[in-house]
Amino acid sequence: MQQLVDLFGFLSVVLRAGTLVFQSLLLGGIVFVLWIARDMPGNPESIEKMQSGSWTLLRCSTIGLIVMQGLYLYVNSAVLMTTAEIGFRAVLGANFFLSGSIVLAAAVAAYLVARQQWKVAHWLLPVLAMTVLGASVMTNHAASRLDGRPLLIILTTIHEAATAFWIGGLPFLVLALFRDKEEEARWHITERFSRVALVSVGAIVFSGMGMSIRYIASWRAVLGTAYGVMVTAKVLMLAALMLLGGINFWLLRSTSKDRVMPRLRRLIEVEVGIGITVILTAASLTSQPPAVDQPNDTVTFHQIMQRMKPTLPRLTYPQVADASISASGREATVSDVPNKLPVAYNADGEPLPPQRIAWAMESESNHHWMGLVVLAMGLLALLARTGKAGWAEYWPLLLVGIAIFIFVQADTECWPVGAKGFWACWANPEAFQHRLAALVCVAFAVFELRVRRRKWENDRMALIFPLMVATGGVVLLTHSHAITNVKENLLVELTHVSMGLLAAFASWARWLELRLPVGDRKIPSWIWPVCFALIGVGLLNYREV
Amino acid sequence: MLLTLLLLTGLSHLAWAHAILMESTPKLHATVTGPDVPIRLRFNVRVDGSRSRLHLLAPDGSLQALPLARQSTPDVLQSQATGLKPGAYKLKWSVLASDGHMSSGDVSFTVK
Repeated sequence: MQQLVDLFGFLSVVLRAGTLVFQSLLLGGIVFVLWIARDMPGNPESIEKMQSGSWTLLRCSTIGLIVMQGLYLYVNSAVLMTTAEIGFRAVLGANFFLSGSIVLAAAVAAYLVARQQWKVAHWLLPVLAMTVLGASVMTNHAASRLDGRPLLIILTTIHEAATAFWIGGLPFLVLALFRDKEEEARWHITERFSRVALVSVGAIVFSGMGMSIRYIASWRAVLGTAYGVMVTAKVLMLAALMLLGGINFWLLRSTSKDRVMPRLRRLIEVEVGIGITVILTAASLTSQPPAVDQPNDTVTFHQIMQRMKPTLPRLTYPQVADASISASGREATVSDVPNKLPVAYNADGEPLPPQRIAWAMESESNHHWMGLVVLAMGLLALLARTGKAGWAEYWPLLLVGIAIFIFVQADTECWPVGAKGFWACWANPEAFQHRLAALVCVAFAVFELRVRRRKWENDRMALIFPLMVATGGVVLLTHSHAITNVKENLLVELTHVSMGLLAAFASWARWLELRLPVGDRKIPSWIWPVCFALIGVGLLNYREV
Repeated sequence: MLLTLLLLTGLSHLAWAHAILMESTPKLHATVTGPDVPIRLRFNVRVDGSRSRLHLLAPDGSLQALPLARQSTPDVLQSQATGLKPGAYKLKWSVLASDGHMSSGDVSFTVK
C-alpha cells in the first residue's frame, strides 16, 4: 500500500508538471491569437491559414490541460483518501480540489469558445485565462505561507503569467512561422512576439528575485538547499534562454529578412525545448519546501567542497558479508566486518554503519564505470568532430557496453553473477526495468550509429538522439526531492542537477547542429561533445559518503 | 539517459512533499511524564486540519487514531493522548498542506 501511495505521489508531481506546461500554453496561446497574430499585413489567404493553425493549437492546449488537470485531481484525491482515510465527499472541500475544479471548468469553457469567428471568444478567453491563473496560484507555495502572503501571491501571479506569455507563446510562434510562408508576415509576427518576450523577461526576473528573497533568504542556502539549487538551475536556463532571445533580437534588427528566418526558426525551437524544461523544473520546485524553512538542514560550502573535491574513481566493488548481517536480523556494526571497509562519514562528519558504506561504495562504483563510458563517448565525439578520425564516429557503440554493464551489475542476485536464473529474474519488476533499459541502450546504439554513418542529418529520425538526451536532462533536473536525510540527498542532488543542466545544453546544441543552416553549425557542434565529456567527469567524481 | 532510466526505477523510494515539521511537543526522542500527554505539531505552511491525521503507535504495536482539536493557527495541529502506560511510542502524522501536497512523518518519544 505504501508503495502505491508513493507511486501516486510521484504521479501527482508529474501530472502537476504537465498541468503547468499546458496552462502556460493556454495562456500564451490566448495572448498569441488575440494580440500577436491579429491584423497582420500580407496575403489574406496565407494569414488565414496561419491564424487557423494557431487557434487549433490553442484548442489542443485546452484539451491537454483538461486531461492533465482531470488526472491530477483523480490521483491527488486517491492519495488523500488513502493516507487520511476519508471518503470522496470530504475531499471535495480541499483547497487543491476546489482550485483544480475551477481550472478544469475554465479549460472546458476555453475549449468550447476558442473559435476564431466567435466574437465572444475575444473577451471571454482573457477572462478564462485569468481564472486559470488565479486558481493555479491558489495551490502554489505563496497560498500556503503564513507571512507575507499577499505580496508572494502577487509575485507568483506575475511570474506565472510572464512565463506563460513568453514560453507558452513560443510553440505558437514556431507553428506560425512554419505555416505562413510570407516573409513580410513572418517578420511582423516575430517582431511583435519579441516585444512581448522582452517585457515578460523583465517581469520574470523582477518577480523571481522578489520570491527568491522571501523563499531562499540567504546566500548560503542558494547552494546549501535543494530549493536553492533548483532555483539556481532555473536561473542558468533562463540565462541560456535570454542569450538565445538576445541573438534573435539582434538577428531581427541587423540581418536581412530572407537570411534571418531560417536561423530564427531553429533558435526558437530550442527556446521552446529549454523553456519547457524550465517550466517542468518550476513544477518540481513547488513540491519542495522553501529554503528558508530548512535552516538546520542547510549544507555548508565547506561540506559541498569536501564532497566535490576531486578523487580517484573506484572501479572495484566492496565484498561485504550481507548474508551474515541479514541473518542476525539487525544492522551491522563496525565489529561485524572488521578491516573490510574503509571508515566513512556523512555530511555532518558522523561515522556511517558498514552496510550504508557498502551500499554507497557500490553506487559510487556504478557511477564511476558509467562516467568512464560517458567520458569516452564525449571524447570520441570530439575527436570525430575534428574530422581527422573517422573511426571515432563509432562512439555510439559504447552504449552497448553500458547495456552489458547494466545487465551484469544492476541486479547482482541474477544470472550471470548471482544465484537466480536468467528467466526467473524477469518476474522481478526492478530487474525487468533494468533489462528494459539495457535493451533501449542497445537499440539506441544501433540506431544512432546508422544515423551517423549514413549522414541522415536532415532526417527527422536524427532528432531522436537530442530529444532522448533532453528527456534525460529533464528527469535529472526534476527527479529527487526527499524530505528525509535532507543534507545527504542534497549533496547527491547537486551532482544530478549539474548533469541535468549539461544534458539539457548538450541536447539542444546537437539539435541546433542538425537544424541550423550548414554554415552556422560550427559552435553547437563543439558544445554538445564537451557537455558529454563534462557529464562523464561529473560521474567519475560522484560520491555518496 | 541511462542514469535517468536507473533513477526512474528508484523513484518509488522518494518522498514527494512540501509540509515539513518545524517543532513538536513532545520533542523527538524526548521522555515525558504520563499518563496524559499533550500533543502539538507546528509545520512550515498552512495545513488542512480536517484532512490531516494523527496516529499513535503504542509499545504493544497497537495503532490508535488521535482526535484533532480545532486549529488555533493554520500551521498547527493539536491533540491529547490519554492513558499512556510507560514505554516507547511513535506519533505518526500525515498532513495536507493548503497547496495540495501531502506529507507524512513520525515523532518517537518515551513515556516514563
